[in-house]
Amino acid sequence: MEQSSQFWSRRIIWLLLAIATGIFIVVKVKAVMYVSRPALSLYEAVERVPADKIIVVSCNWEPGTRGENGLQTEALIRHCLRNGKHFAIFGWAYPAGPQLGQQIAERLQGRYHRRYGTDWVNWGYKTGQNNMVRAWAQNIPGTIKEDILHKPITSYPVMRGIRSARDVGLILEITPSDTLVTYVRFVYGIYGTPIGYACTGVMAPEGFPYLDAGQIVGLLKGLAGAAEYEQLLHYRGEALKRMPAQSSAHLLIIALIVVGNVLYFRARRRGEAPGRRLST
Amino acid sequence: MNRMPAGLKALIALAAFAVVVYLGIRYRVFAANLGIWLAAICTLAIYSILYRENVVFRFFEHIFIGLATGYSFYTIITQVLQPKWWVPVAKEGKWYWVFALLFSTMFYTVYSKRFSWMNRLAAGSFMGLSAGLGIVGFTTVLGPQMAASFKPLWTSASPYIAVNNILFFITLITVMSYFFFSFEQRHPVVKGSARLGRWLLMVALGAIFGNTVMGRMSLLIDRLQFLLLQWLQVFGRH
Repeated sequence: MEQSSQFWSRRIIWLLLAIATGIFIVVKVKAVMYVSRPALSLYEAVERVPADKIIVVSCNWEPGTRGENGLQTEALIRHCLRNGKHFAIFGWAYPAGPQLGQQIAERLQGRYHRRYGTDWVNWGYKTGQNNMVRAWAQNIPGTIKEDILHKPITSYPVMRGIRSARDVGLILEITPSDTLVTYVRFVYGIYGTPIGYACTGVMAPEGFPYLDAGQIVGLLKGLAGAAEYEQLLHYRGEALKRMPAQSSAHLLIIALIVVGNVLYFRARRRGEAPGRRLST
Repeated sequence: MNRMPAGLKALIALAAFAVVVYLGIRYRVFAANLGIWLAAICTLAIYSILYRENVVFRFFEHIFIGLATGYSFYTIITQVLQPKWWVPVAKEGKWYWVFALLFSTMFYTVYSKRFSWMNRLAAGSFMGLSAGLGIVGFTTVLGPQMAASFKPLWTSASPYIAVNNILFFITLITVMSYFFFSFEQRHPVVKGSARLGRWLLMVALGAIFGNTVMGRMSLLIDRLQFLLLQWLQVFGRH
């Protein structure tokens, strides 16, 4: 009987979660985001990039985290296209990353009258991780050579004068993994190139020591980070639309944690659940 | 009567699925909504694990793994090996890149007792390289972070910053004392500090858990939004 109730309680929680999020997906509720300091700093860093330098949009993510990294990429690329900042899409952790970035940039470029090759370029996926990034920082045309369309990157106007990491105004590392350290180690640590970090919610706590030490200029954490960026762009995109559903799910989980704890302590008082005081 | 092996069943099911998809595209059975229908079926099949373990989930899980592996393999061939290795060797006369193939092949000698020493050469050289890069990492990554942990306990700029810095200092010292295992923590001060460190560590882990929940919910919302607004088109919205 107890096993049956445990079996169904989990399923009921999944169902409650689906209802709590589903309602706010279907019913429109306007979300207003409080913009955090790390998100604002990243926005300001993109604004500060001079015209003769390029922004590297490092798409080190894959479809599994599209719900977070995809929306972050979209917000950041939108900012670059809107302000006419030259950028290069790049990836070295997941083969699908640059292709996903390409789809987003192609979809948005028409709205801001920008063109591939003139305003942005896609360096594609490159293997080699640490060694490749180290070589790339020293010599961009020599390491990248060809773009995603297999054309020499030096043939594009957007790449004129871009030789090393010193010609990169900002690196935007968008990732669900521990890839930030490679850029900090071999690019920021040696060339001082600023880095912005857009990560999944899970990875956000690991980003704060870098932010605190000034090794990254700003941080977007998960869907909330993407929504904050959309707020800064004064654009009501997918991230802002999804925030009510996100908040609803959070409230439900908080309520479930409270209920779970109350039930546990009641069961412990009756001697039905094991319990032990913490000790060092 | 012999039962059909599970692997063969899965292979037949996969082939049948591929044929249905191909015919659907070839004769435009699914029209423009093919992608949406396929994505919806895949999403629901994967979410079926929420009820219980089942064969549909397993089947689609293997499809996803196969697709991801196939896509990675294709990308590495077209984006890396072809332009970075094959073209220089075959078309640009840079024959010396053949040695890269020989070196990388050494990794596979691990499967042979006679030649496994070759694998150690290749692996050893990579480990040496990683160690060298690790030293660079210590100075450029951890150095600034250690320097940043020396915060003034009192600042006239803002009382909030001062409180934050004091809190940071207490957390740093107490958590470090918790992880100090070189001697037994008997002294009441050390014991109390370690206990406080453990509690503060739990607060940090709670924050990480909160962020994890946020991340997982974002991914759930992404899929639910697709199912409700694109596939089912609830209230006619896209």
